[in-house]
Amino acid sequence: MVASTGPNINSVSENLWRKTGRLTLHLLVALSIVAAITFVFFRLIHVNVTTVGFFYLVAILVIATFGGLLEASVSSVVAMLCFNFFFFPPIGTFTVADPQNWVALFAFLATALTASQLSARLKRQRKSALDRQREMERLYALSRAILLTDTTQPIAKQIAHQIAQAFECPALALYDRNSSEVYAAGPEVLPNLDAKLRESAIRSSVLHEERDEILIAPIRLGGEPIGSLAIKHAFMSDAALQSLLSLVAVGLEKARAQEEVNRAQVARQSEELKSTLLDAIAHEFKTPLTSIKAVTTDLLSNPDESLSQQQRGLITIADEGTDRLARLVTEAIQLARIEGGKFQLNRGVHFPSSLLSAALRQMKSLTDGRELKVEVAESLPLVLVDAELIQMVIAHLVENAVKYTPQGSPILMGAHASERGVTIHVADQGPGITQDEQSRIFEKFYRGSRGQHLKGTGMGLAIAREIVRAHGEEIWVKSSPGRGSEFFFSLPIAPEESAG
Amino acid sequence: MSAGRILVADDDPQIRRAMKATLTARGYQVSDARTGEEALDKLRLEAYDLVLLDMNMPGSGGLETCRVIRSSSDIAIVMLTVNNAEQDKVEALDAGADDYVTKPYSTPELLARIRATLRRLPQAPDDAGLRQLTLEGVEIDLPSRQATVSGRTSRLTAKEFDLLSYFLARPNKTIAHRELLQAVWGPDYGDELEYLRVFVNRLRKKIEPNPSKPRFLVTDAWAGYRFHLPH
Repeated sequence: MVASTGPNINSVSENLWRKTGRLTLHLLVALSIVAAITFVFFRLIHVNVTTVGFFYLVAILVIATFGGLLEASVSSVVAMLCFNFFFFPPIGTFTVADPQNWVALFAFLATALTASQLSARLKRQRKSALDRQREMERLYALSRAILLTDTTQPIAKQIAHQIAQAFECPALALYDRNSSEVYAAGPEVLPNLDAKLRESAIRSSVLHEERDEILIAPIRLGGEPIGSLAIKHAFMSDAALQSLLSLVAVGLEKARAQEEVNRAQVARQSEELKSTLLDAIAHEFKTPLTSIKAVTTDLLSNPDESLSQQQRGLITIADEGTDRLARLVTEAIQLARIEGGKFQLNRGVHFPSSLLSAALRQMKSLTDGRELKVEVAESLPLVLVDAELIQMVIAHLVENAVKYTPQGSPILMGAHASERGVTIHVADQGPGITQDEQSRIFEKFYRGSRGQHLKGTGMGLAIAREIVRAHGEEIWVKSSPGRGSEFFFSLPIAPEESAG
Repeated sequence: MSAGRILVADDDPQIRRAMKATLTARGYQVSDARTGEEALDKLRLEAYDLVLLDMNMPGSGGLETCRVIRSSSDIAIVMLTVNNAEQDKVEALDAGADDYVTKPYSTPELLARIRATLRRLPQAPDDAGLRQLTLEGVEIDLPSRQATVSGRTSRLTAKEFDLLSYFLARPNKTIAHRELLQAVWGPDYGDELEYLRVFVNRLRKKIEPNPSKPRFLVTDAWAGYRFHLPH
């Protein structure tokens, strides 16, 4: 890649310059030490050649310990040359008269180089151990920071800042797949890496952005990529990087779990609030209705002739109005309670036939005097439903049939096995519903064109549909004008083990 | 002669006025209370045959008041509820109520419930052997309406007593739900299975050594209940 952007290149070359300067200084110091020994023993103190050799060796060990391999090697060669030039006869030349001295000179060079090597290796190992230790400390600091994240801002954002801080990272970006957000941190600004971060997370692969020395690695949890991390100048070991990614994965997962808990809690609280509110509304509306109903029914139940025909008629109107208002309140509250499917189903295992008979028992007063035919197929499986709510569905359908058909017309109902499980049907021989209306009758407050004058709230079928849907099932109608209507809804079969 | 003394406990003044008027016209002597606490005070001072108790009252509320009344008295209690939900009905019966009526109710319906609750079973058969019963650590004394199980004595409410008498008069025979309901509550009843469930449970708590594993008052699935009397 061709370098093009200013600040990055500057920082790289600055770094190089700093390194070269430091090396030159080290070399100068090392060579000065060698020169000082040479000067002292050549001019000031006269000792034998062996002692001088040992001094050179000690000096080279010191240089290897504090400097690097290069400084020590250069010093070894220079020391060998000085040793030869100033101390081996003939002095002042690089020639060596005694062949034994050649051996001594090479032994000296070999010893000096080996010592340099060993010392430098030790130093390197110490440095690497220190690096590991530092990485461990940073990872530990990061793990603590992740545990202590708060909920005031996105946890991924906090994690990104903690990494930048702990690893003294110039710039990094964290992509959280759950929220699809990228969080940047660090003093420098990264180029736009969103696409690459997404790619890394989706393909679960490591990418290198060599131009800017940026590493992009996927964050996995149990093999599943849940995000990715881009780090500039990631001077850390592979092991440390893997640990870092695992830590971030755990942190993100913790955040996700926490978020889920919070969401569930909020939903539960709002559900509780809704329920309390609806109970209060029910109470407030039904209390005045109760006193009206008590009075109208009391007057109407008087067998004596204290009421004139006209008075009786007027009170009957008030009484029927009260009933209608009470039903409206009841159904509006039912609908509000179940709407949106956010309510608790109290599921139990039931016989389809007992659901039908229980619903019929509850609405005996409404169906009195009507011809009802119930047909339940034999050996139907048990169903797993909220019995009270399903009875409510049946009641709404039967009520609908009663409402839209003349007195003498029979109502047929039953249950049979179907593809979806068990299907319950309620049929009438009323005027039927046009194709156009069939798609709208389950809507809230919709009332059939022929139903304008009839008593009803327009909520019954909407309530029925919400309840059936909450069970994960369907409700539908088959009808044609003049040939009656047939309503169906399916019920889920109870699993084998719960039936026992 | 008064048809009975009734205490109406409801926080709504109009409901209290309407009930007072209707019930007085039917020959009942009626007092009223605005809260559960006031109802308890009145019950302590005077004798009543029946309490009409609103479930939603300020203060300790209808259910709690019902429990407190039941802990010291076997007076007939009819609960007035707003919700028609099964859970509310069972809660009311569990708290010790004998019956409940859902608001808004019609006056004839309320009167029928009051009559059914005050209605006493025609005296149990005069079988001396069954009036006092001692079996396996359980003592049932019908004349004093008391049952003692492992040293713990409890008093039966009127409806519990009627139900138990009906069972004892027909030992070892499965009695259908409908028969029980009509015999004990009245001919208008028959489908209120939750009444039986709650009342049988209440009886079991008073006469069974281990109410969760009944030995005497047993359920015959889908058919009814049976009083098992060891020979």
